[in-house]
Parts: sequence; C-alpha cells; structure tokens
Amino acid sequence: MSKNVIGAVVVCVLLGSLSLVVWALNNNKVVIGYNKGYVPDQPVNFPHDTHAGKYKIDCKYCHTGTEVSRHASVPSGNVCMNCHGPALVQNDSPEIQKVRDAFNNGRAIAWQKVNLLPDYVKFNHAPHIKAGKDCTVCHGPVAEMKKVVQHESLSMGFCVNCHRQPENNAPTNCSTCHY
Amino acid sequence: METQNTQTPKYWMSLEQWRQDPEFQKLAEKEFQSSPLQSDDGKDGWARREFLKLMGASLALTSFGCVRRTAQKIIPYVNKPADVIHGLSNYYASSFADGFEGLGLLVTTRDGRPIKIEGNPDHPANRGGMSTRGHAMILKLYDPDRYTGPKRNLQNDTRSNREIVGVKWEDLDKAVIEQLKKGSIAILGNSCLSPSTQALTDDFSAAYGAKSYRYDDVSYEPLQEATQKSYGQAGLPRYDFEKAKYVVAINNDFMGTWLNPTLYSRQFALRRRKTADMNKLVVFESLMSLTGSNADERYRIRPSQTLDLVMAILNELLINKKVSRFAGDAAVLRAVSAFAKADVGVNVADVAAELWKNRGQSLVVAGGVHSGIENAAHIHVAVNLLNAVLENDGKTVEPVGAAVVKPASANISDLIASMNKKEVKTLIIHGCNPMYSLPAAAKFREAFNNVEMIIYTGDRNDETARYADYVASDHHSLENWGDMLSLDGTYSIQQPTIQPLYNTRAMQDSLLVWAKASSKASARVKGAEDWYAYLRNNWKDLGRGKASTDDGWTELLRSGVLSGVTAGGGSRTFLTAALNEIKPASRKSGFELAMYETVALGGGDLANVPWLQELPDPITKITWDNYATISPKDAASLKLKEGYHVTLTVGDQKITIPAHIQPGQADGVVGLAVGYGRVGAGKVADGVGQNAFALAQWSNGSRVTSGIETAVAVSGGRTELACTQGHHSMEGRQIVVEETLKDFIKNPGGTVHRHKMFSMWSGHKYKGNKWGMVIDLNTCNGCSACVIACQSENNIPTVGKKYVIEGREMQWLRIDRYYVGDPENPDVVHQPLPCMHCDNAPCETVCPVIATSHSDEGTNDMTYNRCVGTRYCSNNCPYKVRRFNWFQYSEGIPTPHKMAMNPDVTVRFRGVMEKCTFCIHRIRNSKSEAKVQNRTLRPNEVQTACQQSCVTGAITFGDLNNTEWAVTKEFTSPSSYALLEELNTQPAVRYQVKVRNTEELKGAPKHHGEGHHA
Repeated sequence: MSKNVIGAVVVCVLLGSLSLVVWALNNNKVVIGYNKGYVPDQPVNFPHDTHAGKYKIDCKYCHTGTEVSRHASVPSGNVCMNCHGPALVQNDSPEIQKVRDAFNNGRAIAWQKVNLLPDYVKFNHAPHIKAGKDCTVCHGPVAEMKKVVQHESLSMGFCVNCHRQPENNAPTNCSTCHY
Repeated sequence: METQNTQTPKYWMSLEQWRQDPEFQKLAEKEFQSSPLQSDDGKDGWARREFLKLMGASLALTSFGCVRRTAQKIIPYVNKPADVIHGLSNYYASSFADGFEGLGLLVTTRDGRPIKIEGNPDHPANRGGMSTRGHAMILKLYDPDRYTGPKRNLQNDTRSNREIVGVKWEDLDKAVIEQLKKGSIAILGNSCLSPSTQALTDDFSAAYGAKSYRYDDVSYEPLQEATQKSYGQAGLPRYDFEKAKYVVAINNDFMGTWLNPTLYSRQFALRRRKTADMNKLVVFESLMSLTGSNADERYRIRPSQTLDLVMAILNELLINKKVSRFAGDAAVLRAVSAFAKADVGVNVADVAAELWKNRGQSLVVAGGVHSGIENAAHIHVAVNLLNAVLENDGKTVEPVGAAVVKPASANISDLIASMNKKEVKTLIIHGCNPMYSLPAAAKFREAFNNVEMIIYTGDRNDETARYADYVASDHHSLENWGDMLSLDGTYSIQQPTIQPLYNTRAMQDSLLVWAKASSKASARVKGAEDWYAYLRNNWKDLGRGKASTDDGWTELLRSGVLSGVTAGGGSRTFLTAALNEIKPASRKSGFELAMYETVALGGGDLANVPWLQELPDPITKITWDNYATISPKDAASLKLKEGYHVTLTVGDQKITIPAHIQPGQADGVVGLAVGYGRVGAGKVADGVGQNAFALAQWSNGSRVTSGIETAVAVSGGRTELACTQGHHSMEGRQIVVEETLKDFIKNPGGTVHRHKMFSMWSGHKYKGNKWGMVIDLNTCNGCSACVIACQSENNIPTVGKKYVIEGREMQWLRIDRYYVGDPENPDVVHQPLPCMHCDNAPCETVCPVIATSHSDEGTNDMTYNRCVGTRYCSNNCPYKVRRFNWFQYSEGIPTPHKMAMNPDVTVRFRGVMEKCTFCIHRIRNSKSEAKVQNRTLRPNEVQTACQQSCVTGAITFGDLNNTEWAVTKEFTSPSSYALLEELNTQPAVRYQVKVRNTEELKGAPKHHGEGHHA
C-alpha cells in the first residue's frame, strides 16, 4: 500500500517537473544553447563603435555580400587597406599594424565567428536586406559595440516571430530555412 | 481479384519474380530489406550497446547545457578577387574528353573549388546535359589515392620490385632529359581530342626524332580502319540519329557506351516525337545493352554472327530484291553472295524491306567492345556498304574532316615489335593504361626488359605506373588548360577551375620542358613559356576566327565553344575494293565470350569513383561488381543460379566469377564487363570485380574482345551480388503504361486506367507556386546520368556493397527497370522514381514530430534537425523513395572529397530520414535572386539537377500554377498519368506513357497490368 503511494508521489513529482521544464522552454524563460550574449576575443580588436558609430561607415561597405548573397561576408584584407594603407588612417596603431602585417605577408586573419547558425539552417541575407530589414533587427546596436556580441538568441522562435507578422508577408514553410 | 501467386506477371523485375520463387515472395512481403540492427553490425563498432553508451554521453552533455557550441573561424581572402562572392557560385565553361566523346562542361565552383559538373548549353554535343562519367569525374580530382607529386620507382633489372620514392621535378627533368638525349624515343598515347596537345606531341617528336604510337583502352581502330578502306579517307564518321527514321543497331550500344553516346541519345530522343514521324529502333544483339533495352524490335544473335547479319541484309537487298545501284556491281555481289548461306537464325526480310522503304532516312550502326571480334573492321566495311546501298551517305552518315582524331601511323603492336628489336631506349606513356587493358598474350610486359627508361604521366600507382621508372604526375583535367575538337566538329576550350591541389604538372608542361632542352626544338616550343602560352599561341596561329585576338579569346573562355568550324557534310563514294578481303568466318562452337563496357565504368578509368561503383547498372541493377551474364536457357542447362560461381576458360587464362542470369541474352553467349578488377587504382576500385581484359585475345596485332570461344564450368561457391532490383517491389499495379504508336495517335493515353477519386479533405491551397514534374517514359532511355547528377548536387553518400545488399543504398532518385514478356527476349521499361511530393502525402500524416511536412508550394519538406528516426514515414510511403541514414556516413568521406560538397545542401547526420527535395535549394536560390532583382520567376527558370542533366529532355519541372511553364501542358495532357492513382496521394510527379513503334505490345495491359489490388 505504502509502496503505491510513494510510487504515485514520485510519478506526480516527475510529471510536474517535466511540465515545468516544458513551460519554461516554450516561454523563453530558460534559453539553452543559443549563446545570446556571446562575446569572443578577436585576433584584432576591431572597434565597430568607431567605424560604424563615430564615422558612420555603412555596414555594406565592408560586409559586401549582404545585398546579393546568402553570406554577409567578413571583409578581405584589401578592404581594410583602402583606408589603412601606407600613410593613411591610423598607421601607428598596433592593432592596425597587425592587419597591415598580415596583408603584406599574404596572411588571412582568422576571425572568431560570433553569430553561428547550425548547418541545417539556411539563412539568406540578400532577401532580408531587400525587404528593407535593418541590420540591427538581428545584430543589435553594432554601432555602439566595442566588441561584437551576439545580441539575439537567433533561435527558430526568433526567426518565426518575425516571419509570422502579416505585414512581412514572409513564408513559414519548413523548407524556407531547412533543406 | 487476381493475385501474383496464381499468374505469371507480365511486368516483372527479376527472374525470381517471374518464376514466383518463394524467396522473392518473402522479400516482396517484407517491404524493407533491412532490420534496424543486423547481426554483424557490431563488428563495425555500432552495436546497440555502443549506441546506448554514446546516447548516455550525449545526455550528460546536454545537461551541462550552456557551453558554447564549437567555435568556428571566418577566414576571409587577403585580396578578394572581384568576381568571387562568398555564397554564390561561379560557372566556368570547360571541356571533358571521355575517350572519343567530347562534352562541353559548365563547372560550378564555390570559393575557388569545383563542386559540380554540368553541361554547357552552348555545346552541340550535349546541350546542357551530361553523362554519368562527366558528372562523376569531379571525384577523380578529389581522389585521395592520387599522387601528390612526381615519383620515381627504383626498379631492378626485371622491373619486378616496387620501391616508390618521391622525387623533385628538377631531378626528374634532369634525369629524363639526360636519357632523352640518347635518342630512340617512343611516345605511346591515346587518340587525343585536343588539337593543341597533338601539335605539342608532334613538336616534341620532331625535337627528339621520337616516334608516336597510338593506343586506346577502348579502341575504335576497326572503325577507323574501315573508314579508310571504304572511303579512302581517314577519320571517324559523324552520325545524325535525328535524321534517321529507321535505326538498326547490330551489336552496337550507341545509347550507352559507343563512340558518342550522349550526343546519340539526344539526337535519338529528338526523333522520338510521338507523331507518325517517330523513329523505330531495331536491335540485333548478343547481350542486353542499354540500346537493346530501348528497342522497338529486338533480335538475339551471337557475336560471331554480327558480320553475317549485316551481310544477310545486304543479300536480301542486293540479290533477292536487286535494288540500289550496287545490285549491278559484280565485285559487290561476289562479296555479298559468299554469305548467302550464312545462318543468322533471324529472318531479316522485313527489316531489309523497311530499311529500303526508309532509304535516305535510315541508319545502320554496328560494332563496339561487345562485337570486337577478330577482323572487326570487316563488320564496319559491310555496314558502310549497307549505308551506301540505303543512300544514307551524306544524310544520316556524314564524313568529318580528317582533323578530328588523327589516324595513328603506328599502333601498339608496332611498338612492341620495335621494343623487341631493341629500337626503343626511352618510352613515354600518356593517356592510356596498357598494362590494365592489354591481354598478357600481347607480351608488352616482356618487351619492357629491352627499354632503358619508362616515363608515365598517370596520376596514381596503377597497373602501368608500377612498371615505370618515373611517374610525371599529371594534373586532373579540371586543373589544366586545354582544347578539344569533338567528333561533331565543335572546338571547345578546357580551362582550369581550381589551382592544382598537389605538386603535379600538366603532361603538356612536362613535354614542353623536355622538348625545350633539345637543340632541335621548334620556334613554337621555344617561344612558349608554358603550356598555357603554347595553347594560346597555337590558337593564334590557327587564326580560328575571332579566337586569335585577345578579346576573342576572352569571349571564347566565357562561352567555351567555337562551333561550325569544321564543316562535315557531303556524300562520299564507297570503294568496293574494300570488300575484297571479306569472307565468312568459320563457325564457333560452344560458348562465345562477349566483353562489354558498362554505362557507369566504361574502360575503367574512373573506377575509383564510388558514385560510379554504386550506380545500379541500367539493365542488371547490380552494383559494386562485374559478373558473367548468361541467358536463362543456358543457366537452366548448366543448373546455375544467380550468384553461383562459374569458371571461364580461354586458352590458359581462367577467371572465376559470379554469374548473373540475364533475360534477353542470346543463348551460347557469356557477357563480361570490362573496367573492373583494377590494381592500384585506389581504395574504392581495388578488389572490385575482375579484369575481363585478361581473357582478351591477341590476334594479328590487335585486341579481340568478343566472339572468343570459352569453356564455362560451374565451380561451386556463391557470391551475393549487390542488386537493387529485388527491393522496392511494386506488386504489379499500374506502374508503367505502354501504348503502340498507332494506338497513341488514335487516342493518346487511352490505355491508362483512370479512377474516380473522392477525398474527405478539402486539400491544400497553393496560392503562389505549385511545383510539379513530368517524366516522359518515352524518351527516358535509362542512362542513369540523372542519378549521379542528383548524388553530386545533394551530397548523397555511398554506402558500399554490404549495405546495398541490405537495401540501404542512399540515392534519392532510382530508376526502376521492368521486363515485359518472355524472359527469352523481353521488352524493357525504365522508370525514374524521385519523391512524388504527394498533395495527400502518406508520410506527412504519420510523422510523430512533424519532421516531414507540406509546404504551401506543394513540396514535401524534410526537416533533418527535427527527425528522430522513427522511419514511420518510410513505412507509409507507397513509392518507397525515402532513405534512412543508418550511420554517420559523412565521417567516412575522405578529406579531399569534402571539397566537392554542395554548401547549399545540408550534409545529413546519422539517424535521420532523407529523400528527394525537388532541389528545393535551387528553388530558394532562384526565388531569392528574383526578389533581389524585383521580379517574379521567369518561366522555366528553375531546373532540378536531374532535369538539367538529362540529354533526352525526359524530365520537365516547374510551376503548375503558371501555364507559361512547360510542365503545365505536360502535366495535364491526356497521356500523362499518376503512379498508384487509386491511393489518392495526388502525386506532383506524373509520367507520360511509353510509346512503342510496334504492332503489338508484349505487356498489353488491358486493366491495371495484372493483379489489381482493389
């Protein structure tokens, strides 16, 4: 008899905690594995706040792929050299020396990826930019960031919330992103 | 209700089914070949216990949740080329010479690496389509078994040891040049389609006084010899199957393997229009070839009867009917009447009458590996006469200028003779693999002992490389410059699409470096810095139109093709003197061996590509092996069963190999595929099958591959052949619908049994696009290029022989082959089967996690990251098109292969289901592009990979909601039908009925074929 009672209590507790977990996950009370707030150290301390904030350089000046391609692309060395070439901007800065050395020696800089989507998610920048979405919608106020941080969870819920808005007229098929 | 158990099915897939073997019935009822865990799976380290342990570990990991996922790095260019945009493909026009077949390529590259081969729509040979090997050759570039640099083999005096060391290019060049200066040089090369390489080889020969010899692993020497004899004109003829209304193929596989199969398939399909003007194909053959499987009428003959049969038709025309201007020519009549008594076992009167009726628009072709009998040139002379009699010269058969494939002044038998006379000190071998494809009787190996140095420009430690002193490792053609003149007279350019992966060097660059060291080097050689400069100068010298200017050259690189330069055309005169030597051969008794090329492997050059090894043969549906094919009657008298070992004995050569009982094969003939049994080709090819060339004969300095008297003995033992056909049985419902041409013209689609369907569902609404596909069974010839195209496009893994036997092959697109009628000589139907993307998809309703779902564009989506691997969907799929990842197949992909992966398609992981997506990534990319350009999709803008690859245009794809797309008309036409319509799955793929140009069908389904399961 007492065994049955204990059993019933255990089952109730288990079910209760399970539903708590499901509720917490479904309502974004707990976010697991999305890396929101991730700020990796970069090989070169590139200050977005100076470039995009203080000098108001357009994001697309460096991230050239946004309007045509799936990837925004991180700029190649020659793009940096457009401004930071010999006898140009900030030549004595040690960080810029790193970029110059790499460029002159034909070395690429290995940046740490901040916003990482799994392989089975196919996000395409071009149509989003075409639809007039601002970069900050997903990437946050990059123009104020000294170090780039993952500003949103970039979870499926984050994507679908936007796609579901009637004014966006965006598809919500599975194959919109997964294929 | 009839059932299969009580009646012989008219459409059948294997002999076991035809005989209603209890084992087959068990298999058919089982539905799935494989259970979740096979008894010996544990040996591979994937036992269930192991699985649970791993599961435990991953559970532990998830509970420590908030750990950063694997950090990835972004490595941008230092100096980005302007035209490379990360995430977008670049396309380069190039060329691929596959033996004598020249194809125009469009190579898709991503971030500087080729990922897929497609056809160049501007190239007249393939017009955007591609062959199986054309698709697959990309994996030879990324082959882990390639040499990564030049090699030296420290040979002993008898060349029997194997000590291979790396060597520097400078050292190799020094040693080679020193040796070349001694003189007595021979170059053994293939029939190269590149005019500039030919010019360079000539320049090299002139610089050193070297002699050139010709050798091809798959040779067309008899055809070249016969052309020379028949017309006094060198070169190969050009056929136009589009102009031919009546085609007769005699032991000739022009659709699958012979000469230019891709071009011929396309031309043939163009005339396969379903009107009164439709062509008719009559095939006389020993084995069941791809061409034979597409025949309207098919007759069986032995290889040794090939010449007799051509002569029998000539007898009928010239002597019995006394037609054509040759009927009065005494020399011709003498030659032809010598065959008057030859017994071919077939009445050719009707065929001859039809040929004469269609004179000027008929075509007779013969020859190939499986009719490579002794004096094979005689067959071609006789066929040339027959085409001349039928007034086809200048109409369906045209000569091409001698520029294409220069005839050989000397062949390998001359080389062996002069080696034996010690006239050769240095031998350079390129573009062929004679130690693989020559029979031992040629005694090539023995002749090596008289040669001081052998230099081979191969790319791996293969059969020939192991006897060479130096291997000057060649580039892959995707790493190299070049040009090509295909047999139809089109010039095209081969341009590199990737930096050389390894420290290899183009064969042409090697020749150039060596030629420059000679004091007698020509100005052309001295003036060229490297092979590219030589090529460019050569094109300037030739002054081919605008291509001689810099701008013209750039334009040529863009389009890849310069057509209409060599004009063929014009009639020619048949020289009756060519007939003088032709006499009936003596009868053969017992079994005749006929070797043949498979559609996948051909001569075996690409044997190390797993896609090709795992491609089910279009006829036998067997993978990963070669086998002796034997007719059902012979098998019965030998008491053979599928897979039993037989020993084939020719002289002192023996091969023991599993047997395959092949419906439709001529009695008294054993077929054996070449291209298998490679040694040193690499991890994939080595040990797969056996080398058929070992049984070839050497007669009067040429290789005999067919009509060889062979003793066949059952030797005990059995090997299971990895056949994909026993699975996926369709239980004899209305799967394939055939109609005769007469019936079709009267009432297209009249034999299709339609069902009145009702549904309790309101159905999906498709407001935007609705994707659909139509496959024309009439033009599909089963060549299987689409299967490889799909595999390349969608990162589909290969699983190996063991798992194919268990039914775990992964190809998303399969081609079902059905036999119709009597196994002695059945008709054959090929039916490609992708995912049907049903509107009422049975798979969607049973998925417990909604991993497979319906989109508002009609596609049936598969979300890999949701899939938990219940496999319910596959159970519920009536078409059996779903494939399950039993293992982490991506782990087995060798490193360089990974570079061929398509970044637009997810590489699937273990435990998930996958299937055809209608190339959804192509749809998405096109839609994104259209959106960025502020427009909607243009009609026919989206092509699936299979559709793009199909040279016969059998596949149409597009938006069913827009009548401007070609697919809508096809989809709604009365001759289209849905597979298993009675299940009301409403497939988005429909088939066009197959039309046969015959009086009566062997299948003749009145109602649902046979055995309707209501």
